[in-house]
Amino acid sequence: MRKISLMILFIIPILLTGCWDQRLLVNRTLVNGISFDLTKEGKIAASVRALYIKSMGGGQFELFDELVKAERPTVAGLALDLDSKISGEIDASKAHVVIIGEELAKKGIHPFIEFFYRNRDSYISSKIVISKGKGKEILSVEKEKSPIAFVILQLLNSAEADTVIPKKNTFTVWNNILDPGKDMVLPYLERVESNKVEVAGVALFNGDIYTGTTLSKEKSGILLSMMNQLGKSNRMALILNPKSKRQSISFSIRDLRRDLEVKVDKDDQITCKIDLNMDIEVLSFPQDFKEPLNIEKLNQDLSDELTKQARGITSTLLKANCDALGIGQRISSFHHGLWKKIDWDKEYKNVEFVPKVNVNIIKTGNVF
Amino acid sequence: MEKEMTNNITKFQLFFIFIQSQIGVALLSLPHDVQKSAKGDGWLSTLIAGVAVQLMLIIYWQLLRRFPTLIYTEITQKILGVFLGKVLNLLIYLNFILVGGLATILFVKLVKLWLLPLTPSWIISLLILTSCVYLAISDLKIIARFFVLASSLILLLAVTSIFGWFTTKEIQYILPLGSSGLKNIIVGSQNSLLAMLGFEGLLFLFPFIIENKKGVFKTISMANLFITLFYTYFVFITVISFSSNQLAQMREPVLNLLRGMSYNMIDRVDLIFLSIWIVPMATSTISYLYFASKSVGAKKKQYPKVVLLNGLILFLITLIPHDDAIITLFNKYVSYLSYVVVFLIPTLLLILSILLKKNEMSEST
Repeated sequence: MRKISLMILFIIPILLTGCWDQRLLVNRTLVNGISFDLTKEGKIAASVRALYIKSMGGGQFELFDELVKAERPTVAGLALDLDSKISGEIDASKAHVVIIGEELAKKGIHPFIEFFYRNRDSYISSKIVISKGKGKEILSVEKEKSPIAFVILQLLNSAEADTVIPKKNTFTVWNNILDPGKDMVLPYLERVESNKVEVAGVALFNGDIYTGTTLSKEKSGILLSMMNQLGKSNRMALILNPKSKRQSISFSIRDLRRDLEVKVDKDDQITCKIDLNMDIEVLSFPQDFKEPLNIEKLNQDLSDELTKQARGITSTLLKANCDALGIGQRISSFHHGLWKKIDWDKEYKNVEFVPKVNVNIIKTGNVF
Repeated sequence: MEKEMTNNITKFQLFFIFIQSQIGVALLSLPHDVQKSAKGDGWLSTLIAGVAVQLMLIIYWQLLRRFPTLIYTEITQKILGVFLGKVLNLLIYLNFILVGGLATILFVKLVKLWLLPLTPSWIISLLILTSCVYLAISDLKIIARFFVLASSLILLLAVTSIFGWFTTKEIQYILPLGSSGLKNIIVGSQNSLLAMLGFEGLLFLFPFIIENKKGVFKTISMANLFITLFYTYFVFITVISFSSNQLAQMREPVLNLLRGMSYNMIDRVDLIFLSIWIVPMATSTISYLYFASKSVGAKKKQYPKVVLLNGLILFLITLIPHDDAIITLFNKYVSYLSYVVVFLIPTLLLILSILLKKNEMSEST
C-alpha cells in the first residue's frame, strides 16, 4: 500500500510538467532588434525586427524578418501595441540590439533600459547603441541574407575588439546610470550609402542623458585607452608632422599601463593626472626609404601627438560634462569629505586634466 | 531516553547540517538586505553578524555542556519547571514553524518569480513540502547523510559564482572603508539575521552527536566560519559589481550578477544557478520542519504524524498571499520572535542554570 501511494506521488509530478510553464517556439515570435525614436509630435516610436523561423523540412530552416512599428506617448504600452501587430507571442529574450535615436537619447534613456532589466525574460546582454538621426533608419536597412540585427551585432563585436567602442550592454548601462560617480560612453552608429551601417564613434553621456557630443572613431580609441579598456586588437592611424611631410603611421597597442591620479589641493581644486604608457607595434610607416628608422624620434613624435589628442579629448569630456573616466568615483573613495560637500554634476567642469602619453615601440613588424 | 545508536550523527555530519540549515533562500537577497543601511560596507556587516553568531554559540555550548543528553525543549522544563517550560516551548515551536514557513514562502516566491511564472504557487509549495516531509520523517542519520551529499552542490555553486567575476568590477564601491558608520553597519548585520538563522539547530542536535563532550565546539565554530566567509564572499562580489543605488533596486543581487553573463556556449547562468540552488533552499525547510517537530516533544511512535501535521501547517502558511507588504510584515514579526527564541531564551537559561546551580544530574523539579 505504502509503495503504491509513493509510486502515485512520483508519477503525478511528472504529469504536471508543462501544465503551465511551457513556451513553445512555434507560438512565439523572436524579436532580435529594437529601436526607439522621438517623433515630431513628441511621441515615442518603437520599431522591432520580428524574426520568423520557417521549417523547410529536412532540418532546413528559413529565416526572414519583418519590421513592425508602434507609437505611444510613453514607453509603457508599446510592448502591447507591438504584440497585437505580430502574429504569435512576442519574445524579447533574444533582442540583441537596442538602438536609441539621438533626439530621444537627449531626453534620457533610462525608461528604455528599465523595461529590459525589470522583465524576467528579457535579454540583459543586449547591446545598447545610439544612432545618428532616427534609430529606425538603421533598423530598416534591408540585407539580403542575414537579418539586420545580426549584421549590426557583428559590426559592434568587431568594433569592440578593435577598441573603437566600449563593451556596453543593458547590464552595464544600468550600472552606469545609477552610479553618480561615473558617466558612460555608448557606441554611435550611422547609416551610410543607403544600405550600410557604420560605427561612427562614441556618444558621450551625462547620467542617462545624451549630451549631444560625440567623439569620432579615431579619437574613441584614445579615450578607451585612457579608460583602461583595451580590446583584443587595437589599431590606430595617426598623421605626424602635418606641416612638413604628412608622414602617416598606423600601429597597434600591445600593452597598456594607465596611471590615473586624482589630487585635491587646499582650495579643493581637483587635478587629475593621467599617465598612459603604451607599448606599440608599428603596422605601417611609409618612411623615407633612404634614412634608417629613428625609433627614438618616432617615439617622441608619437607621444607628443597622442598627448595633444588626449588633451583635446579631456577638454571635450569637460565641455560635455561627461565623467567617463570615473573621477567622481575616485573622489568619493579617497576624498569622501569633499564628495559629500560638493555637487559633483556642477563641480566636474572645474576638474583640471593633465594627460600624458608615453609611446614605446617594441616591434616594427617584418622589417626594421 | 529514546536515543538509540541509529539516530546518532558524527561531528563531520554536524558541520554539514549546520551549513545546510543556514544557507538557503536568504543568500540571494542578502546583499540587498545589508546594503539598506550599510551601503558599500555591507560585507563588514556579514562579518559582524558572524561574530555575533559565534558569541551565541559560546553561550549554547556552555548551556549544552550542563545538559548533554537533553534537547532545547527539555532543558527549558528542567530549569523552569514543567508549566513555565511548556509555555516557553510553545513559543519555541511557533518560532520554528514560522521561520520554516517564511523560508518556504520566500522559496516559492523566488521559484515563481524566476523559473515558473505561470504555475500556481500552491503547486510549487506542495511539491517542495512533499519532498521535505518525506525526508524530515526519516531518522536524523538519514537527514544528515542527505545534507552531506547536498553540500557538494554548494561547492558547485561557489564555482559557478566565478562567472560573476567576469563582469566589470569596481573595487572603489567599497571605499572608503567604514564610510557608512559603525551604527549603520551593525543595523546591516541585523538585516542579515534571517540568512544567519539555522545555527540554533545545535540546541536540538547536541544530544545526538557521538562523543559530544569533545571537539563539538571546534566543529560548530568551523561551520560558522565557513558560512560567514561564504556570505561575505557573495556580498563582497555583489557590492563591488553594483553601486549601492543599483543594489537598492534589486531583489536578488546574486542572481542579477550572473544574469549579466552571456557566452556562446552558455547563457542565463542565473537560471542554472537557481535550479541548483533549489536543493540548499529545500534543506533549510527540512531543517526547520525537523526542529519544529522535535520541539513538540512527541513520543517516537507519533513522530511521523507530527511531521506530517507540521508539513500541513507549513503548506497552509505558504497559502497566504505573496504580497510584498504582507511578507515584509511577516518577516519583521518572525525576526522579533527569533531574537527571543534564538538569542534571549538560551542566554536566560544559561544565567538561571548557573545561578540555580542546575545541571543534568540535579533532581527534576
